[in-house]
Amino acid sequence: MALYGEARDISLFRHINRELMHDIISQQVVYHKYNLVETKINIYGEASTGRIFQEPTLLYSLIERGDESSPAFDEVGTVAQNLTFRFLRDDLTDIQLVCDQGDIIQWKDLYYEVDNVISNQLFVGKNPDYPNKDSTGTNPLETGLENFGTSLSVICNAHYVPADKVGIDKQRL
Amino acid sequence: MANITIYDGTSRFFPGKTPFGFYDYDYEFQTDADKVVTFCARRLGYPIENIELQDINFYAAFEEAVTTYGNEIYAYKVRQDYLSLEGTPTTSTTLNTDVIQPNFASIVRMSHQYGEEAGVGGTTTWYTGSLSLSVSVQDYDLNTWAQASASLDSTDRIEVKRVFYEPPPAITRYFDPYAGSGLGMENLMDQFGFGNMSPAINFLMMPINYDLQKIQAIELNDQVRKSQYTFELVNNRLRVFPIPTEAGGKLRFEYIKESERNSINAPGTSGGVSNVSNVPYKNPTYKEINSIGRQWIFEYTLALCKEVLGYVRGKYGTVPIPGAEVTLNHADLITAATAEKNLLIERLRGYLEETSREKLLERRSLEADYKQKELNLVPQPIFIG
Repeated sequence: MALYGEARDISLFRHINRELMHDIISQQVVYHKYNLVETKINIYGEASTGRIFQEPTLLYSLIERGDESSPAFDEVGTVAQNLTFRFLRDDLTDIQLVCDQGDIIQWKDLYYEVDNVISNQLFVGKNPDYPNKDSTGTNPLETGLENFGTSLSVICNAHYVPADKVGIDKQRL
Repeated sequence: MANITIYDGTSRFFPGKTPFGFYDYDYEFQTDADKVVTFCARRLGYPIENIELQDINFYAAFEEAVTTYGNEIYAYKVRQDYLSLEGTPTTSTTLNTDVIQPNFASIVRMSHQYGEEAGVGGTTTWYTGSLSLSVSVQDYDLNTWAQASASLDSTDRIEVKRVFYEPPPAITRYFDPYAGSGLGMENLMDQFGFGNMSPAINFLMMPINYDLQKIQAIELNDQVRKSQYTFELVNNRLRVFPIPTEAGGKLRFEYIKESERNSINAPGTSGGVSNVSNVPYKNPTYKEINSIGRQWIFEYTLALCKEVLGYVRGKYGTVPIPGAEVTLNHADLITAATAEKNLLIERLRGYLEETSREKLLERRSLEADYKQKELNLVPQPIFIG
């Protein structure tokens, strides 16, 4: 029988996380969600007319910054930098934002394209989205698993992309 | 997604928000409750940081602090006055506002046992009994007598306290020519029953020590030259000396029933105060607590809130954040709360101890001494009449 990590505890974590990320650290990024529907692609699957993004969203994030690396000799004027953006999953859920590869994260007026998304930080090893119920709505071994555990974070690994390649015009959020 | 709200800077007390509701309808408690919430929250860091508590947590702590304060006060009063309170009725409304008049009830009750053994008091009845002496029978079993005549339970016993088996007082033989007193000339009067009285003839007043010496001489004579009246009593088996030579004599004695002596119920205290738990003190009336007491209560409430917050923040040791985890200050909170609670309790007990009857009298005595010393410095004029 699950005992720990009940919704009440998760609510406490949420309060603490939001206090930490929103009120204390207050590190913000602008999230540009890639709009698959509006983006036109050619027969090769290329967005030949440019990618289209949804309205930008301001989010709190914990940012793990890699150092900028020296430009390659044939790419004068560019830098390489990998960043990890860590989001509180509840913040994303509130605005129904699903992070995905190809999305652009804007930080310090620089753009970072999401390479992969990690959603693997489960508290007490359980994700309440999967209570393992059968077709009759019951779990023969355990009840109420939908109230225990949480998938706490969404972590995006991203790399720097020059603004001219993104094609995003700066606008008011 | 459950979202349990935490304190948001506002609170509004109304009856029913405390666990026990002891003081919910006390207007001043209601007024102070929300002020206490604000006080505690700010002392814990709000609004700079969140306080993961709800208003009901603060109210519960406030109620507990008031109750603890009352408990300390009244427990002290019980300790101070218990000798006077023991045995008093528990049905009186409350002693909260009464001034206790010290009394000797418990002291006397405790002394009963000594008087009881000495036969001069106590609560165990001394019964009288008698048995007939038989010719040439020296031993008598009082246990057998008791079972037959003393209305005992089968497991009960008697304990003989006194046996009336003594020779006649020496004074009755004061004029006995055979008493060995050397005063045989009054033998005739003694035979006529005038032994103890003046026969209205010549009378020589003698000092009292003369009489005493003569009586002692008679008693010593009996002890040395005669088979003295005496007895042995072992395990309620009575052996009398000398062996009875005439039938019909009655031997009287006094005894108690052991079951009655073993009784632990003090007479007249049934339903009264029997231990510290039923002394009729009740929770304090909040509105009557003075500012000194209220400040103590506020500080104790804060310590309790700190403790609860520590337990809330420390349930999991660390709190996960995206991609990492953090350790909150729960250990510091609990340590500080425990220390503060102990300190407050000690401070209150010390304060109460300072106002004990003993300390107050001691201080008053010292004051009187110092006053006297000071007055002695005043020049004393010479009285000229």
